[in-house]
Amino acid sequence: MDATLKLAAVIVALGALNYLSRLSFIAFFAQRSMPPLLARALKYVPAAMLTALIVPMIVDVNPDGADFASPKVPAAALAGIVAFGTRSVLATLGAGMGALWLLQWARA
Amino acid sequence: MPVTEAPTFGAAPARPAHAMRHIVASRDFREGFVEMLPVAISLLPFGVVCGVGAAAAGAGWLGSLGLSALVFSGSAQIVATQLLVANAPLAVIVLTAAILGLRLLMYSAAMAPLVRPLSRRWQRAIAFALSDQLFAAAVTRFARDDDRLGAARHFAGCGACLWITWQAACMAGFLAGNVIPAAWSLDFAVPLCFLALVAPLFRDAPAVLAAVAAGIAVLALAHLPMKLDLIAAGLIGIAMGTAADLARDRWMRR
Repeated sequence: MDATLKLAAVIVALGALNYLSRLSFIAFFAQRSMPPLLARALKYVPAAMLTALIVPMIVDVNPDGADFASPKVPAAALAGIVAFGTRSVLATLGAGMGALWLLQWARA
Repeated sequence: MPVTEAPTFGAAPARPAHAMRHIVASRDFREGFVEMLPVAISLLPFGVVCGVGAAAAGAGWLGSLGLSALVFSGSAQIVATQLLVANAPLAVIVLTAAILGLRLLMYSAAMAPLVRPLSRRWQRAIAFALSDQLFAAAVTRFARDDDRLGAARHFAGCGACLWITWQAACMAGFLAGNVIPAAWSLDFAVPLCFLALVAPLFRDAPAVLAAVAAGIAVLALAHLPMKLDLIAAGLIGIAMGTAADLARDRWMRR
């Protein structure tokens, strides 16, 4: 598929999907309450999905296995601690990027 | 005290353009807009990173703007651009974003009773902007106020503030992403932004279990075709968190 066309399709599909999700219980299921098991499961969507997204960006996976020796691993660990303590995007970015640049400079 | 029927506020106005001006000029709208500014500013770096991601995916300025304007969710925008770079099929991109977007059902269900007295038009408008930060800002106002139309205008002000600053941040990131050299490792900012969102959740034990399970699963399943590893790992993590939550409830009830 043509790259521009694919991007357009992704924008329209994700835009519609997100809007319909936001509208779900406000408009379509307004008369219903959420099933308790679904409500319980939804609480863990961010923790599970965001972690599944984060880990491959920090740990590179080669055919031989996962590469935990990358300087991105300690930098991300430090950023995680800062994020846990401060809840601030800017502080997390500062700590993580700073640590990565320092480690890359030390190895060079 | 006389019992009145729950009235419907903000019924379809005769002249929508005039009504729109009326909303924007209202004090509630202005209060919402100003109240949201600190939150919007704190999200600027995340927006910039999303814009950088769009540039890395080879999007034009229109594609980048379309993504941030219509999807209006940082994590979904990042998923879309990352999976586009990895050349995942359209269906996998949509499915991954759908699972990530499940959390929006939670906000929708929580908002639903608050917006029930409002007109359809208001409900649809509020749903468009419903996001993690707006939900938090709106719930306090809707809970405090009996004036539902005022709370809706306040929400519109919050939403406008966040939406406008988000577009500006994403566009700034898109422009910067095209000039910043690769040696700066700016792509590392993406997992850092997500870490800022996810690490504060680790005060809750089932959430930690959900994250650990998803993290191990995504590495173990890295060789699944078509980038299906994200979907599989996400579902495993959600199942793990839910099971741990159920087990904790059983334990507490004993």
